[in-house]
Amino acid sequence: MNDRLLLKPQRQIGWASWTTFIVAGLFLVSVLALDLSAERLIRLPGQILEVMSFFYPADMAYGWSAVLPAIIESIQIAWVGTIIAALLSLPLALFGARTLFPRIARVVKLISATARAFPEILLAIYFVPIVGLGPFAGALAIGISSVGMLTKLGAEVVESIDMGPVEAVQAAGGSRLAALRYAVLPQVLPELVAHWLFRFELNIRASAVLGVVGAGGVGGVLLNTLRYQQFEKAAAVLVLTILVVLVIDMASGEIRRRIIRG
Amino acid sequence: MMGKQPAIEFEQARIVYPNGVVGMDGLDLAIRPGEFVVIVGSSGAGKSTLLRAVNGLNLLTDGRVRVSGQEVPDREGRQLRQLRKQVGMIFQDFRLVKRLTVMSNVLIGRLAHVPQWRAMLNLWPAADREIAYRALQRVGIEEKAWTRASQLSGGQQQRVGIARALAQEPAIILADEPVASLDPVTTHQIMRDLVRINRELGITTLVNLHFLDLAREYGQRIIGLRHGKLVYDGSADTVTDADFRDIYGRAPTADDVLEDAM
Amino acid sequence: MSKPLAVVPSPPPRNWWLWGTTAILVIAMTWWSGVGIGFSLSELWCNLAGGHRLLRESWPPAFAFLPRLVRPFLETLQIAIIGTVIGGVLAVPVAVLAARNLTLGPMTWFVDRNFMNILRTLPDLFWAMLFATAVGFGPVAGALALSVFTIAVISKLFSESLESIDMAMPEAVRAAGGNWLHMVQFGALPQAISHYISYALYAFELNVRASMVLGLVGAGGIGMILETQRANFEYERVTVIILAVLVAVLIIEKLSETLRRRLA
Repeated sequence: MNDRLLLKPQRQIGWASWTTFIVAGLFLVSVLALDLSAERLIRLPGQILEVMSFFYPADMAYGWSAVLPAIIESIQIAWVGTIIAALLSLPLALFGARTLFPRIARVVKLISATARAFPEILLAIYFVPIVGLGPFAGALAIGISSVGMLTKLGAEVVESIDMGPVEAVQAAGGSRLAALRYAVLPQVLPELVAHWLFRFELNIRASAVLGVVGAGGVGGVLLNTLRYQQFEKAAAVLVLTILVVLVIDMASGEIRRRIIRG
Repeated sequence: MMGKQPAIEFEQARIVYPNGVVGMDGLDLAIRPGEFVVIVGSSGAGKSTLLRAVNGLNLLTDGRVRVSGQEVPDREGRQLRQLRKQVGMIFQDFRLVKRLTVMSNVLIGRLAHVPQWRAMLNLWPAADREIAYRALQRVGIEEKAWTRASQLSGGQQQRVGIARALAQEPAIILADEPVASLDPVTTHQIMRDLVRINRELGITTLVNLHFLDLAREYGQRIIGLRHGKLVYDGSADTVTDADFRDIYGRAPTADDVLEDAM
Repeated sequence: MSKPLAVVPSPPPRNWWLWGTTAILVIAMTWWSGVGIGFSLSELWCNLAGGHRLLRESWPPAFAFLPRLVRPFLETLQIAIIGTVIGGVLAVPVAVLAARNLTLGPMTWFVDRNFMNILRTLPDLFWAMLFATAVGFGPVAGALALSVFTIAVISKLFSESLESIDMAMPEAVRAAGGNWLHMVQFGALPQAISHYISYALYAFELNVRASMVLGLVGAGGIGMILETQRANFEYERVTVIILAVLVAVLIIEKLSETLRRRLA
């Protein structure tokens, strides 16, 4: 008994130091593999600071005329993608809940895991040739990759509900559909909407990037300004993106808090 | 009503759970229309199993159970839903949808009576709203009709549970430990409600209880279960402490009586 | 039922104003966005034919290409590891100073919190583009970008964990004469360490996924090959790369998820 009491904490310490050891080892191997010479390493901070100085002042005239429309397009892409994902993920989340549909749930979870594994931008690479260069491809890519995540999170919400009312509906002679409508949906809807909103916040960032592969939005503008070394214009992209995303984050966060509370 | 035909009839009924536990063992039992029956037994004796066999929430492994002369189907489906329509159920943990209003919760009792599309769209016929409202009047909480269920006290929530069962206009009410989550004062109120409803509407009522004094006070007929077998069946006026000793397999203690538990 | 009709009182007026405006806003926003991005189901339908051709070109995957992916693949993982470790370490002070119960003062808290929120606004590839411009194309830019991205991910989550710890311990350390650093190190961090590990693993998952595409903007890893093959319309090779990425991401996610569940 005494021995065991002594052993346990010791084992934990051993486990923790092993982890540190392994992580540190992997880190060192990785750093060495990047063949970062000491000389280059020392030059790095100076280089970064120097380039940073080129970004001032931001060319806001360009910002208002060229960047803002691109940001708005990014928001539109994110919004349409989120709506697509929300509509598709609502039924999928129900079918993905092991507590309601034990057999179908496995299949749904597998599909959602696959959809999630694709980075949006890889999906966009496929959608661009299909629907052509532009924001529509971006919205589809964002929609599909969000369906995966929203289905997973939604199914978890559904699995965590109180199943008592579901049985009460069945005991009253209600159908399965009626149980979903009256016992499941009212319990999960606020959380689901909060997840949708949060996903919208993430999707704005994702859609901002899609311009890199020609799928619309502000990412393409940043890529081009940097490529042609128009740093003051690039600065306008950064400033406006940060401002717009901050505002949307705050608004969406506030709405989410209210939904969950009410 | 239906003459001499029993409201509920068990014939050599047996239930074995998937884990091998025997929940009901060769039960023969007939309950006449309009009876108020209290079922007692220690926990795990098969009280819930018996109630849930009546509306098919637990399906028989062997034998048969009939409700108003009609056999309870052996699988989920339309027929079973038709049968459940005439059997109301009240639960220990109320099983209300907390985020819905009291009225919506009671309307769940009408789900089997209205066309599916109406229920799905929340378009309840005026007649069904009225039945639901009258059910609330009968348990005296009609003024809470538009309150959220989550804002009610335990006793009020159980009244909503009773109203939900009443809204089915059932022939039978099953009450599974309806007062186990309530304080002694509320317990008596709820038991009196159940008895009054049984008298006024002639609804056959089966109540699981674990307090002996409550069983004696409110029961007409007492049924004792032990290890899934019927071990006592008699009038509440004549049941003795020795009978309870047989049912429980031990002498009754203070925990088995409500008044002492106060 | 021959009983006289009971009068069912009508429900109290719902907050129609709120519901109505919300519904109109959502619909209007969707309409405006749909038009703005040229959303059209018919176009999607027509173009599915083109999609068909694309799929045919992408199949069968050119598996012979696989061996040439090994090195870039390793580089990708290395970028993700470096980014997670550097970012993970730097995230700790950022998180501590952003936790209301541990921070040094209202001014520090305010500045650090805003710094954290601003870091969070920019997506991973933006950092990659910026660092590729600053330090040149290649994996170093990618590793730096993911470091910053990791700080943003971990610090926010970790500061929330730190805010919910039991303050008895840190106060005890203080009472025993420890300074602020002692309090954080011995009183606060040990309570949230399991959360930290879980967030670090989560960040690693995100980083693996991100590192696969960093190459699209010239920040090293497998994405660079992807970009050249795509530019040359070698879709059979693109398929192989995407399949490989998919498998790698799924494996790492599964590993990390198992580890996280172990810890929880």
